[in-house]
Amino acid sequence: MAWRLGIDIGGTFTDVAIVNEVTGGIGVVKVPTTPGDFAQGVLNGLGKALAVGPVDPAAVALLAHGTTVVTNALLERKGARCGFIATRGFRDLLELRRSSKASLYDLLQDGPDILVPRRFRFEITERIDAQGEVVLPLAENEIPRLIEAIRAADLEAVSVSLMFSFLNDAHERRLGTRLREALPGVAVFLSCEVLPEIREFERASTTSVCAYVAPLLTSYLARLADATAALKLPPLHVMGSSGGILDIPECLRMPAAVVESGPAAGVVAASLIGRQLGIADLISFDMGGTTAKASVISGGEIAVTAEYEVGGAANAKRWLHGTGHPIRVPVIDLAEVSAGGGSIAWLDDGGALKIGPHSAGAVPGPAAYGRGGTRPTVTDANVVLGYLDPASPLAGDLVVDRAAASGAIARDVAEPLGVSVEEGAAKILEIVNANMCEALRIVSIERGLDPRDFSLVAFGGAGPLHAVALAAELAIPEVIIPPAPGAFSALGLVASDVKRDYSRTLYADLGTIGPAQVGDVVSEMEADGAAMLARAGLAPEACAMQRSADLRYPRQAYELTVPFEGGEVTRASLDRLMTTFHQRHEQTYGHANPGEPVQMVNLRVTAVGRIPAIRIRQETQPARRDVRQRPAWFPEVGTVMAAVHRREELAPGTTIAGPCIIDALDCTAVIPPGWTGRVDADGYIHVRRS
Amino acid sequence: MPDSAPHKRPIDAARFEVVKNSLYSAAEEMKIVLAKTAYSPVLKASGDYSCGIFDVAGNMVAQGPDLPIHLGSMPDTVRAVIEVFPDATPDDVFIHNDPYHGGSHLPDVNVVMPAFFGDRLIGYGCVRAHWADIGSATPGSYGAVTEIYGEGLRLPPIRLYRDGKLDPSVAAIIFANVRQASERQGDLRAQIAANRRAVARLQALCERYGADELLCIMDAVLDYSETMMRAALRRIPDGDATFEEVLDGDGVIAPGATEDETFTIRGTICKRGDGITIDFTGTDMRVAGPMNAPATVTASGVFGALKMIADPQNRIPPNSGAWRPITIHSVPGSVVHAQPPAPVVYANHEISLRVSDIILGAMHQITPDRAVAGSQGTGGVVIFGGRDYRTDSVYVSYEVTKGGVGARPTKDGINAIAGPLANQMNTPVEILEMSFPLRVEEYSLVPDTGGAGRYRGGTAARRSWRILNHDAQCTTCCERTVTAPPGLAGGLAGGAARIWITLPDGTSRPVTSKGAFIAPSGSLLTIDVPGSGGFGPPAERDRAVLREDVIDGYVSRESADRDYGGLGSGGPQSEGEQR
Repeated sequence: MAWRLGIDIGGTFTDVAIVNEVTGGIGVVKVPTTPGDFAQGVLNGLGKALAVGPVDPAAVALLAHGTTVVTNALLERKGARCGFIATRGFRDLLELRRSSKASLYDLLQDGPDILVPRRFRFEITERIDAQGEVVLPLAENEIPRLIEAIRAADLEAVSVSLMFSFLNDAHERRLGTRLREALPGVAVFLSCEVLPEIREFERASTTSVCAYVAPLLTSYLARLADATAALKLPPLHVMGSSGGILDIPECLRMPAAVVESGPAAGVVAASLIGRQLGIADLISFDMGGTTAKASVISGGEIAVTAEYEVGGAANAKRWLHGTGHPIRVPVIDLAEVSAGGGSIAWLDDGGALKIGPHSAGAVPGPAAYGRGGTRPTVTDANVVLGYLDPASPLAGDLVVDRAAASGAIARDVAEPLGVSVEEGAAKILEIVNANMCEALRIVSIERGLDPRDFSLVAFGGAGPLHAVALAAELAIPEVIIPPAPGAFSALGLVASDVKRDYSRTLYADLGTIGPAQVGDVVSEMEADGAAMLARAGLAPEACAMQRSADLRYPRQAYELTVPFEGGEVTRASLDRLMTTFHQRHEQTYGHANPGEPVQMVNLRVTAVGRIPAIRIRQETQPARRDVRQRPAWFPEVGTVMAAVHRREELAPGTTIAGPCIIDALDCTAVIPPGWTGRVDADGYIHVRRS
Repeated sequence: MPDSAPHKRPIDAARFEVVKNSLYSAAEEMKIVLAKTAYSPVLKASGDYSCGIFDVAGNMVAQGPDLPIHLGSMPDTVRAVIEVFPDATPDDVFIHNDPYHGGSHLPDVNVVMPAFFGDRLIGYGCVRAHWADIGSATPGSYGAVTEIYGEGLRLPPIRLYRDGKLDPSVAAIIFANVRQASERQGDLRAQIAANRRAVARLQALCERYGADELLCIMDAVLDYSETMMRAALRRIPDGDATFEEVLDGDGVIAPGATEDETFTIRGTICKRGDGITIDFTGTDMRVAGPMNAPATVTASGVFGALKMIADPQNRIPPNSGAWRPITIHSVPGSVVHAQPPAPVVYANHEISLRVSDIILGAMHQITPDRAVAGSQGTGGVVIFGGRDYRTDSVYVSYEVTKGGVGARPTKDGINAIAGPLANQMNTPVEILEMSFPLRVEEYSLVPDTGGAGRYRGGTAARRSWRILNHDAQCTTCCERTVTAPPGLAGGLAGGAARIWITLPDGTSRPVTSKGAFIAPSGSLLTIDVPGSGGFGPPAERDRAVLREDVIDGYVSRESADRDYGGLGSGGPQSEGEQR
């Protein structure tokens, strides 16, 4: 018997998914997230999972984790006290950025967020030119003053990004060595180690994001590693932003690669079930306690962006250039809104009802949780309307207090608006649903994709409560409620391959460059990748290297990433690469120019360690046929007695008509009047209009 | 979808939304195709272009997320083509750059492609892109000449593709007249490809919804923008206001004079209900040099600034419908309404950006909580050309450097970022040096250039280039060397622009802010672009914030004492004084 454990930290709950590798059967444990110290919640969840499984730690084949530590540090500006060292003349690189604004017309827009305050930006005299030649040698005599300044400023981390270090890293490495010797307590990140790619701002930004989050991530992961080792569990892996997992040393070498760790896991899980169900076009919708996230899987492919910005004002809602911190690593593309079960309902100065962006989170939590929360939340509205069951314990052993929920809504919403408590609760849901439709619109309608062509996969603790209402709003024909929706992201963690993306700039004419030179660069990255996979304990036969090259016509500024065959690099393989580039250019942009030389800019290697695929199923038990009901309020029909089903009792082939409610330990789903659910062979519920 | 919009037939609200967004995402796709495949750095890296989708009458239905500076003139560009070629076929592609036919300035080359669904004309794609060179005596085509004939190759609307094939005679004329013909050919290919994308997307929408439905929705999108703009204007108080600005000059020193002569633009706003009128009466008449703006260029400045005031969240799709409530009066022959053969090349950005600042300054008098203090207000253009010693080939490098956004009624301005109306990006130094025989030795913020105020203006940027192993032909185009970006509501002006050259022997001297000169091998050219104005009296600046500014070196101790009346109690902490 082999098990996989996936641990996902949400804003409210920390979920542990326990998957039986052989049967695909799953178990879920939820514990409250511990915001002051996320690691504590992880350990609570793991302890509980091992106990209730019960799971023998020695039988655990994979332990994987999705973390929001990096994103939170950037969004809440809680990262390291961080410095930046540049070539003389360029200390303001991180502030000058690319000089364009995020919003074309908003005169009051905020300026970009900057990780390193100007007082901690330093310069050193040195210069390497565009041919990689030294124009000015590194001023060794300036180094002691830099070290002294870093010490005096009490910095925890420093990023170094010198001009053209991707062509010639001698100065950067020499400076790095001196800094690391003299400042053992300071995390030093060199751009030539993090991202040896052309474009000084993007390289400096990626390097600085690493430095900014590294001290926090290091202590967090060290604590988890110690604790999991004490439990005799296998080494921990962490989900990367592009949808593969990494081991801890790899994360710490490249913290920017785990920026969107948590959200990536949910999208990976959605794509997995898309494959399992044979549905190519999906919108993944993940609603937890604090935020709701949407992403599109089109033609079976997860949408990934190479031009991602983390943190910053606009990023909460949609991806925008100009306010966050660019990181040049692949990241799953998603839209996020501040709307979750814990989102607080409040009246603004004009008396308009608003939901969020503030969340009651896990502590103090919604009023209904009786943990000290007094302000009304989306969860409280769901309790008042009868969707969440006051009689049975909720996730994390919480008992729902309906009176507290009603009281909070009455006091803060219903009475000031002069409506009944039920009407107040219904208004809360109407508004939060409209906010979440916005995220769905961003990934579909705004990109010219018609939601009517997609199925909506609903997950997260609150996703299936709201999903059908959203589908109705956007005319999405089908909602899929997967097994364990409340811990779905945690499932994605254990279904992912081990993956790390490497890149190196090799700036040369593809037609004349020596194959050996290309071969050397590729081999070096593949050796790094193979070593990483070996450290992660993967057998060589499970490992693969995917090569690609960023190519363009010499005078273009943007590259196309083109797949490049494996094996020995020869003139013939480079010529085939060139042919592929012309074809891809034609396909992508509608024109190509085969007569023109092709410029190689970067070489890339993705090291993948395949983990055996699993088929995720909802295990069902023979249904007890006693019909349960509870009163629930629907906008179409008012309060009615709705049928209540237990998820685990819904056998394959069952059809259930709305209005009804499906209770499970981790998550409650609502099927409103006019919609019908059908349970498929693996226990997935497909909800469509009746 | 507002109910009041007059449609020929009812449109499903959800379908309207999907198709409207599809049109805008099609325009955005055009932009991606152009940016990612163009060859000129000014296009590919700086983003100096605009893409739009137009209806059969030449109204702009959708503009990509491009430069507001092109808002006004793109529809006239397409209309000029329709006028000359009313009989377009699916095999046609048109080209033109004539400022007196709806163009902006000669380097902005427009490629217009009709879109057909079967035999039926359903609209046009238009891609305007700034070519790094369009001929004339100086690389980059930014010379301080006195007639449009000296500004480069002027193309009235002509047919570039006939029967689906590039007309070799037309191509031969164009590429015989521009520097780096192979690079220009790459730009042209990218423009055509971007248009083909627009045509394909329009055809796909017709296949899905039918041509009748698509045309009906395109029409409704225009009405929708108009309705939204009128509603937004109604939320702004009625009022009248006048604002004027003095410009540095036109780059041509008059006979007998020793300095470039300044001139004035005056704008008077009359806002009533859901409409607004801007009258430029009182503006100076034609200047000798290329600082004369075609009326459509002036309109771009007006439209962009008013959209920022009325619709900061960008909820109104920018298209021809949005501008229907706006009326502009200007005197033909004045610097905001050029008549041939006046030269125009600088005016495209120099006049439109200042018109935008004038509108914002005037609107501040009507609605004080919406406008911002004077921003950079200039393109900050520096062009180098010559022969690259590494490849022995001709090169032209065109760059813009960004100063600050002016201080706002509730917050500081933004340092070194594109001001209102502009949004070009800088060229990465490493890309620039790979491409051209230049080495950037400094790119930094300039302290004390953000105007003092309760809220400080954004600071300027400095960029300096070493000329490597050749004598470069250099051209500059920069404003606000004389009149600094003004403050608002008691805020002080921001830093003025400066341009100077340091010769290999170490001597420095200022160079012209508009026009061409030789920068010798080994010399260093440096530009400080303008900063931006402050908002509110400096005495009201939060002292704690001022102290932080001093620690970070955005404001010097001297300026804190002189402009703000001192740091107050506390003084900067010691940690910031080291660097």
